[in-house]
Amino acid sequence: MTTTPPVVEFDQVSKGFGDVRAVDGLSLALHPGETVALLGPNGAGKSTTLDLLLGLKYADSGTVRVFGTSPREAIVAGRVGAMLQSGGLMDEVTVAELVGLACELHPRPYRPADVLARAGVTQIADRKVDKLSGGQAQRVRFALATAGDSDLIVLDEPTTGMDVTTRRAFWATMREQADQGRTVLFATHYLEEADAIADRVLVLHRGRLLADGTAAEIKAKAGARRISFDLDGEIDEPALRTLPFLTTLTVSNSGSAAGSGPTVRIQSADADATVHAVYALGLYPRNLEVAGLGLEQAFVTLTAAEEARTS
Amino acid sequence: MNGLIKLELTRALRNRKFLFFSVIYPSVLFLLVAGSADSTTKVDGTGLTLPTYMMVSMASFGALTAVLMGNSERIAKERESGWVRQLRLTPLPGRGYVLAKTASAAVVSLPSIVVVFAVAAAVKDVRLDAWQWLALTGAIWAGSLVFAALGVALGYLASGDAVRPITMITYFGLSILGGLWMPTTTFPAWLQDIAKWVPTRAYAALGQAIEQNQVPHAQDLAVLAVFFALFTGGAAWLYRKDTLKA
Repeated sequence: MTTTPPVVEFDQVSKGFGDVRAVDGLSLALHPGETVALLGPNGAGKSTTLDLLLGLKYADSGTVRVFGTSPREAIVAGRVGAMLQSGGLMDEVTVAELVGLACELHPRPYRPADVLARAGVTQIADRKVDKLSGGQAQRVRFALATAGDSDLIVLDEPTTGMDVTTRRAFWATMREQADQGRTVLFATHYLEEADAIADRVLVLHRGRLLADGTAAEIKAKAGARRISFDLDGEIDEPALRTLPFLTTLTVSNSGSAAGSGPTVRIQSADADATVHAVYALGLYPRNLEVAGLGLEQAFVTLTAAEEARTS
Repeated sequence: MNGLIKLELTRALRNRKFLFFSVIYPSVLFLLVAGSADSTTKVDGTGLTLPTYMMVSMASFGALTAVLMGNSERIAKERESGWVRQLRLTPLPGRGYVLAKTASAAVVSLPSIVVVFAVAAAVKDVRLDAWQWLALTGAIWAGSLVFAALGVALGYLASGDAVRPITMITYFGLSILGGLWMPTTTFPAWLQDIAKWVPTRAYAALGQAIEQNQVPHAQDLAVLAVFFALFTGGAAWLYRKDTLKA
């Protein structure tokens, strides 16, 4: 019986630059058809991870496999299409010429006209590459990454420099790619993109994997419900701090409805249990609101907690 | 691979400034140096007239310009812009980039050689046998590969603002010391001793030997071979270093 190897497999991969360990014992596996977002604060090791995956850098220790082979072999076989932020473009040639070159280099190319259309650059096909705006250059990079029938598409901050409309169109295109069974891995700092598009989210922090799961799971892990209510009279903060599943607590006297007392804001990993305990303390919360946390807040909470734990 | 060569060429042919300097400029310089000389003045110890002698020097100079100037700066710039990285995400083999650059430079260097020959023959009545014209073209064209390798090495050695001055110094140093602008026989003796080991002098000497109806000197061939090994070795080493770093 044969099993298909993971699309991407990192096994205890480390990579350092001088004293800094950009990637530190990282292990992960991506499976066919997944759309995976790679998140992390600046300096978390996202770019290094992508460089290792694409064979642009070599690991100090551990192994990186792509479709069961080395990254370079996978690229030569045309299985990987990639778009890097740091990927420059050949200047003094037209967009059409450059995309034509990418198609020619790919073992299973698409028709250049189709690639141009899909990336939304048909209108600017005759323009010189060095005369493009940032957003246009991003779309040309995307065209290069999708010049042929690759099984894995890697995108580093793909929508940087795009306006909202272009960004939406870009992700619609990306969804099509994923729906055709391709594996898509993208790094982004727009967390709403990760929330809306990825079916799996990896959170990197200091070269390690801090969280790995669906956006919903990441939010739950971060204590991802926000509870707020107003209280009359004195507030017993120490008592509130004993509430179960509480991750953060703030009490403010401003911003609450006229005539009411201070407002309590709580982040909780289990809102039901926490609210229940509020009543059990004998309190009468008014204007009670329970809301889900966005991935952005979850991400900030997670990395801040890790920062606090390790420093 | 062929696609990249084609695109590099298209780009080189679009660049008017580069074309002017590598194709027209050597002929202009030839007319400046040899224009006033009559066709009987001999260059000391060569038996060749000044126009005949300078024709080979300027054709070599033109080929040198085409292969050295274009590549070093382009490679340095494209390493910086990340185009070299982008290419590494394609199935193009690593040395494909360097080969494409060299091939396109070689295509541009051919007209720069031929134009100097045409001008010399038309304006200064330089006359040679058919086999000599062919052998000259072949020798100067093939010899330019030595300097193409140097251009690649410089492109990987220097970056950003440093590459232009370094290339310029190398280019002018090689042109002048190698006697491409004026015969080395006009140099003081000590400078002639140095010039003997300069690859551009050996390069031009190949062509001049053909004009004299002689077999190229073994020493010149050896000097060129050693520098070719040195430059390609250096380029390969710097290229590998850059690849590991990127």
